[in-house]
Parts: sequence; C-alpha cells; structure tokens
Amino acid sequence: MTTTTTGMSAQDGAVAPPQNRQGTLPDRQRLERAMASFVQDFGVTAALYMESCVHCGQCAEACHYYVQTGDPKYTPIWKIEPFKQAYKRQMGPLSPLYRLFRLKKPVTVGELEKWQELIYDSCTLCGRCTLVCPMGIDIPSLVLAARHGMQEAGLVPHDLWEPTDRAEREGSPLGATKQVLKERIAWLSDDNNVKIPLDLEQADILVTVSSIEIMKYPQSLVALAKVMNHVGASWTFCSDGYEATNFSMLSGDRKGQHDATMLLINAALAVKAKTVILPECGHAYQAFRWAGANVYGKPLPFRALHISEYLAEEIRAGRLTLKSDPRSMTFHDPCQVARRGGVSGAPREIFKALGADLHEMSSTPAANWCCGGGGGVVTIHRADSLRHRVFHLKMQQVEDTGADILVSSCSNCRLTFDDGQAFFHWDKTAHSLLELVADNLAQRH
Amino acid sequence: MADETIVDVLMRRGLTRRAFMQLCATVTAALALSPADAAEMTKRLEYTPRPTVVYLSYQECTGCLESLTRSFSPGLASLIFNDISLAFNDTLQAAAGKAAESAKDTAMKDAWGKYVLIVDGSVPLPQNGAYCTVAGRSAVSDLKHAASGAAAVVAVGTCAAFGGLPYASPNPTGAVPVSEIVRDRPIINVSGCPPIAEVITGVVIYYTTFGLPALDHLHRPTNFYGNSIHDRCYRRPFYDRGMFAKTFDDEGARQGWCLFELGCKGPITHNACPTMKWNGGTSFPIESGHPCLGCSEPDFWDKGGFYRPLSAPTGHWSRAGVIGGAAAAGAVAGLGVAAVARSYQNRARKGRPSDPDQKNPKP
Amino acid sequence: MNGASLLDFARGPAFEAAVAMLSFGIVWRLTGILALRRSVDHSRPRTGFGWMGGLRMIVSRSWPRREFRERVLHWDIISYLFHIGYAVAILGYVPHILLIRNLVGLQWPGLPGGVIAFAAGISAAALLALLGHRMTSPVLRQLSNFDDYFSWFVAFVPLVTGLMAYYNIGDSYQLVLGLHILSGDILFAWLPFGKIMHVILFAFSRGTTGTVYGRRGAAT
Repeated sequence: MTTTTTGMSAQDGAVAPPQNRQGTLPDRQRLERAMASFVQDFGVTAALYMESCVHCGQCAEACHYYVQTGDPKYTPIWKIEPFKQAYKRQMGPLSPLYRLFRLKKPVTVGELEKWQELIYDSCTLCGRCTLVCPMGIDIPSLVLAARHGMQEAGLVPHDLWEPTDRAEREGSPLGATKQVLKERIAWLSDDNNVKIPLDLEQADILVTVSSIEIMKYPQSLVALAKVMNHVGASWTFCSDGYEATNFSMLSGDRKGQHDATMLLINAALAVKAKTVILPECGHAYQAFRWAGANVYGKPLPFRALHISEYLAEEIRAGRLTLKSDPRSMTFHDPCQVARRGGVSGAPREIFKALGADLHEMSSTPAANWCCGGGGGVVTIHRADSLRHRVFHLKMQQVEDTGADILVSSCSNCRLTFDDGQAFFHWDKTAHSLLELVADNLAQRH
Repeated sequence: MADETIVDVLMRRGLTRRAFMQLCATVTAALALSPADAAEMTKRLEYTPRPTVVYLSYQECTGCLESLTRSFSPGLASLIFNDISLAFNDTLQAAAGKAAESAKDTAMKDAWGKYVLIVDGSVPLPQNGAYCTVAGRSAVSDLKHAASGAAAVVAVGTCAAFGGLPYASPNPTGAVPVSEIVRDRPIINVSGCPPIAEVITGVVIYYTTFGLPALDHLHRPTNFYGNSIHDRCYRRPFYDRGMFAKTFDDEGARQGWCLFELGCKGPITHNACPTMKWNGGTSFPIESGHPCLGCSEPDFWDKGGFYRPLSAPTGHWSRAGVIGGAAAAGAVAGLGVAAVARSYQNRARKGRPSDPDQKNPKP
Repeated sequence: MNGASLLDFARGPAFEAAVAMLSFGIVWRLTGILALRRSVDHSRPRTGFGWMGGLRMIVSRSWPRREFRERVLHWDIISYLFHIGYAVAILGYVPHILLIRNLVGLQWPGLPGGVIAFAAGISAAALLALLGHRMTSPVLRQLSNFDDYFSWFVAFVPLVTGLMAYYNIGDSYQLVLGLHILSGDILFAWLPFGKIMHVILFAFSRGTTGTVYGRRGAAT
C-alpha cells in the first residue's frame, strides 16, 4: 500500500462516490453524524461564542479571503452558519424556544456540501478574525468543530481527505514512512557529514519533524542536527514517533488526530525525554503543544517546544553561539506559532543574536497576514486560484518591508511561499529560520 | 324677574356701565380670551337673561365649594354666584330640610331645560345607590332627574369629573363620575381637588356668554387645562438643567429647584395653577415648595404615591422578591435546558473519541 | 387606551413584568450556557496568569488594533457614538436614575436635560446610520436575521419616544411618555432573548478567549 497515490476513492470497487464525499452513507445518516459530532464538541466556550455574536461583520474585514475578493460569503462567522443554526436548535439555552416556534430550520446535507468550500477551502484557521472580533469570538476553534462534523459526515474535500487518510494508514501524509525516514537520515547524515541519532534508547530531547521537511526541505533535518550537536544536546529521532504534522486535525478526524498525537507522546515516554522539540510547522505546534496534553488526558510529563523557542533558550543559556549575519531580513510569523501559539519573542531573540537587520512587517506578529496555505488549504487544488489571490496580500506585506531576505519558521508557510513565488514569478524565497541559524553557527574553540 | 338680563341685575345693584365694561375686560383676560372678546361679552351680557345655576353635592368633601367661595376674581362671577343666580346650594343656603328640598324643586321647575347644573362629588351605584342619599333619595336618581332638566352639566372637582377619592382603589362604594350617569347632556369637567375658584366661575361665565367652550379629550375646557403644570412651571429651568431638590429641607429645596425627585406630577398634569395661582393669585403648591399631586388628572390617587417620582415604577411589589424569584426561575430553566443538551451530548459521544481541540471535556 | 392609562400600565404591571422577564431571561440564558460542559485544559500554560489575559482582553477588545483600524474604525466610532450616547441618556438622565433608585436603591448625580437630549440625538442618528449600513453592506445583509432588525427597533424606539417626550412633541405628553416607558419595558423584556444580551455576554466571551490566549502567551 505504500505506493498508493491519489485517486483512491474508488479502491473498494464500489460505485465511485462523488469526489468530495467519502463513504456511501445515505444523506440522512450523514446529517445525523455531522450534527451528533458537532453537538459532541459543545461546551461552555463554544456556546459562549455562538451566543455572543452580534453580527457586526467585522471579522470579514480581518479575513484575507474577504479583503481580497469582497465576496460576503467569506465572512468568517458565516463559514459556520449551518452549525450555528444546529447549535441554536439543539444546544443553546434558548433551544426550546427555537424548536417550539420553529425559528431555525434543520440543516440539510445540501447546505453542508455547499459550506464545504467555506469550511475547508477558504479558512486557514489563521485566527486573524479572532483578533478583530469585538466579542472576542475565537472563530477558528468553531471552524475546527465544524470540520469534525464534516469529517464524520464524510464531506471532506478529496484533496485534504487523501493525505489525511494516507497519514492514518502510513504514518505520514506525504509518504514519509518510517522506512523513508530511516533512508533519508542515513543519506543526509552521510552526505553532510553530520551525526543524526535515530532510535537511541534514551535521550533528553526527542526531536520531531514535518514530512514536508523530509520530502521537500531535507536540509532542515541537517540544520536541526547541526544545531543540536553544536549545543551538545542529548537528543534523538524516534522512528516510532517522528511525524509532527497532524492532517487529521486539519480535516477534522478526531480519532486520527488522537492516534497521531499518541505516537509522539509514546515515543517521548519511551526515550524518557524531558523535552519534545516540534519542527518548523505551525499546526504541528498547535496540535502537540496545546492539544497534546488534552489528547493524553493529563499534563504531559515533558516540555513541548517549538524549535525557535528551543533555539532562543539555548542562545540565552550561552550554548548556542552565532556568527553575525547583518543582511536585511524580514520575518513571517506563522499564525499557529505566533498569533495562536504565543511564540513571537523567540524568533526575534534569534535575529538579535544573528545581528540581522530585521525589518518588521507592517503589522505586529499577532495581527500578521497569513500566507494563505495553512489549515490544510495548501493541499486543496480547487482552491489554488483563491489562495493565490490572498497570497498577493502577503507578498505585498513582505515587499513593503524592503528587506532582502524573507524568513519564516513553518515549512507549510514555506511551501505556500514557494508556490506563490512560482505563480507570481516573485524574486523572494522564504527561508527557514532554523537553516539560517545552522548556517551561522560559530566555530567551537 | 324671569326676563331680567345680567346687565339689568348689575345696574340695579348700582354698577355703572363703565365699571361693567371694565369687569368684562377683566373676565375675558382671566379666561385668556382676546380683547375683542371683551366687547363681544359686553354685548352678549346685555341680552343674556340671568342664568339659573343649581349646585348639587354628592360624595364629596365640600372642598370644591370652599374653594369657590374664596373666589377673588372675576368679581362679576362672584357676584353672580354669591348674590344673583345660584338658585340652590344646600351648604350655602339658609333653608334646611323640607324647605330646602322644595326650594330646589321650585328653582328647577322654574328654569326647567335652561339651568346650568353644577355637580360636585362622585355618585355611588351599588345597592341602588344606598351609599349616598339626600332627603331619602339616592344620589344617582337625584342626579338623573336634575340632569334631565339641565341645559348643561358642569362637573366640578375631580370626584365629579373622574371619580376622585371615592373612586380610588378599591372604590368601596362603587362610585362613578358624573359622565357615567349623564349621557345626554353636554358635560364640562372642571377637575382639580379642588379646582381653582376662578376656573369654576370662569367656566360658568364663559358658558353663559359664549356657550360650550372648547374641551380636551377629558372634557375639560382647554383654555384652563390646555397646558401642563410642567410647561408653565417657573421651576422648569432647574428641571432642564438637572437641578433637583432631594428632600423638603435641603439646599435645593431652599433654592427653589425642581421638585421632580420629590414626586412632582407636573409633567402629566393639566391645570392653570402656575398661571392663575390660588388665593387671589398668591401662589400655587409648587411655589410653596410642595410637588404637584396631579389632582386634576383621573386616578391621581392611584399613581403609585404622591412622593414617588413620575419615572419610577408604580406598584408596591417587592423589588427583591420579583427580581430574585424570576432569577431563581431562570436558573431552573437554564439548568434544565443545559441538562437536556448534555444528554444529547452523551448520546452523541458514545463510541467516539473526545475532541482534543476543545480541550478535554470531563463528563 | 388613552395616554393616562397607557402610562399607568407602562409604569405598573408592564414594568413589573419586564423586570421579571429581564431577570428571568438573563439568568436562564447565562445558566444555560455556563452549565454546559466545562473542559479542563491539561496543556502546560506558558504563564500562570492566563486569567489576566482574560481581563486584558475584556478591556483591549473595546478598541480595534492598529492593523484593523483602516477597515473598521469608522464604523466602530459610529457604533461608539450610539453606545455612549445611549449610556449617557440612560444613566445620566435624572428621571432614569430615579427609576433605578426605586428598583435597586442605587443613585448618582444626573446631567442637564440638554446634554441628555444631545446624547440621545447623537445616539439615534448613529443608530440610523448603523441600520443603513446593515441594510446596504452585503456582509451584514447576509448575516442579519430577525433578531438584528428587531433588536435595532427595540433599541431605537425608546430613543425616539424619549426625545419626543423631552421636546413635548405629539398631542399628548402622557401618551408619548407612556409609549416611552412601554418601549423601555419592551427593551428590558427582550434584552435577554436577542442579541442585546451581548451587554452581558461580551465580558464572558472576551474573557474566555483572553484566558485561553493568555495562558498560551499569545497577544490578548
């Protein structure tokens, strides 16, 4: 099965279901499952959000999709409208009134299918809308809840479902299986003459990786190894738990998300790690740093750090010393790491240690424009032209800094930048912060 | 005697024509009429036969009559009432008992169909009107009889006009205003508890000279009841500036600030107090430092309390009880709905992994 | 029903019922939300003072961040004109303060009538502008439902009737005052059941998100 490529939807031999539907459930059951799933997620927080929206429409003004297209359907809170209706009928404090007076119609599968595009193709879960909302509603968390319902109903866009399915079967969405990892590490280690420990029995630090790095940016792994070795850390890769991306989370599959997270947790427990380092990947940080313990059901017995946090920590401790790189640079804060993850100081400490001429973007790290590829959007091909339109905003923001070099700390952002660069024939390439650090390691005496 | 006009009577009493015209001017001014109306009044009074006025009292306190007898101007009116044409009034007249009753019957018979009937007090209906009887006759049948011979009825005082004190909740005698009983005669309500003396006399003078005055929706003459106390109140600027007396003896009260906070009903009360004033133009309640009670309005006794501000809710319900009770009921409703929602959730959750993004819900 | 009896009704039974609805509805809706499942976040907080993020966001979200001002500040300002004008008219006008004193025993100094009328006028004008915006902006038209328009109406009528009463517009002051108080009663009774409930919910939802973001060390 490792050679399976796209187009698996008809593999069971049954009549091929429509491309963006999974399984063969009748509509009624799809609906029931969507609603049951949605209801399942509801707690105080989501209910407060649903109840407090005043329909002011300001979230639209923060959303790159609306800003670039002017199409009202991209209003963030509108993206979960069918689920908002379901909530009001089913879970809200006034739900008896809504049902009694038939104020809200039951949602239909047709509506859910219509909303698929809004829930998946045109929301990167970037959370810029959360920042403008006068009621402080965290819309991305609601979109995620909606995705859970969509996944249960088998209504995930095929392009996102496919890598998710693959990740659940093979352990990696992009085919970076255990075997591939082992081969890559051996190859990279030889080619670059760098020691990359794999499957040590015990290590203080378990490092993880994004399959985007394994398949597209292998130099990232080399950079990571160089830095870890430079600071003299006790570290290892673990072939039973290395993939930090979590496509199941993005497509809304709770079980897949749970399994992927548990692989990492178990690996960390196995090597008795004190720290787990998450790669340059936004949603991986979100899935493990903030959701991981909740998958586990209790606090994790180790720390989880984004690689940039770790680098800053080592700089502070004096173990990581860097050569000066005074080039003019700008930094793109990945949404899930900065705005929604709380890491924005660490990268700046690193730039300071590098002596870089940092040109900040027009917005603060928290309100930064998204690259347009997060939340699984970059995988959905039918959304490409829309993604390019919103990428234009980002491109402009980068251009406005006047910096020569663009740096980010998310390989998914990098992927999106690469695609946008090619599409617009742009002269800027997004570089990895980790690789920048690895390239500037001071010589040990 | 019957053909004698008002002017004849006045001349006989030694009034000069010049003084008569002056009186007419005074009266028209008091009635807020135009100077041209003074000439018109002079002309009309020369030809108007002396009117017969019958004054009947039922459930009342005689306060209205007390007010009337303190009429300072118009002098003409006081002359008419005190000396000329008041054919019957059981309080003022010397006669009593059967003599009084026969005097009333005679006066009414003589002017049947032409006299002006002034009624003072409300009329109780239950038990065949037994709560108020005069000379063995119930007030209700007495009034019906008297009204059937009247040209018009002037209901003097809030009791006669709107029921007043007897009508106040719970209205133990089943009292009703005159308008509930007399339906086929024009009724002029001269409300107030009591009404201003000059207003009572002014209305009768106006009726005898010009006929029925313009009335508001409560049948009160608009020339006396057209403005609210608030609109004409000399303390109004303090209201507009937000300066209010908080108690009867604070600095604000001494400075003459607005009495709204002390329960003044001026904004919803229509009367001539601020302009005509009382006791020969001496002052009116607000000028004496007391808020308007709203006595010329229907149900003024039942508006939640004389000293409760107009904007405050009426009703004597327990604030804490209602708010707390409703909150308790709300808590029950909220918990109930949440329990139902949780049970949906339990059913939906069976066999599904928990949601890591929404943190880790504990059942 | 004439003005006097309408006024008596509005100040009497209608007011009592409205206060009961207000109290009942607020507690119902709030309990119904807060009694839903509450989740425990096991993730290790970046800072132990997440709740401070909650408090911060309750305040900070009252004004748009620099990055959003160009696109939203003008409507925010108009919205503030409405809100502040409304608050001044409700809390600054002495007859209103006397009502509150009668109801819950609290009181404070009032403002001159002219200031109140000015604030109410501004508020009404802003509210009209906001309605125009809601009816013409494609985003808002799409989002708007009965609640939005009805709540607008329920908020607008007391302003208009209040101004009419202040300027003595209309045949019967009692009728206008009665309508004004009745419209206030309706506002009270409707508040918990529609979007106006945000006067209470805003603190809860801002505080919730602020606490989550605060413990992550993210901007609140």
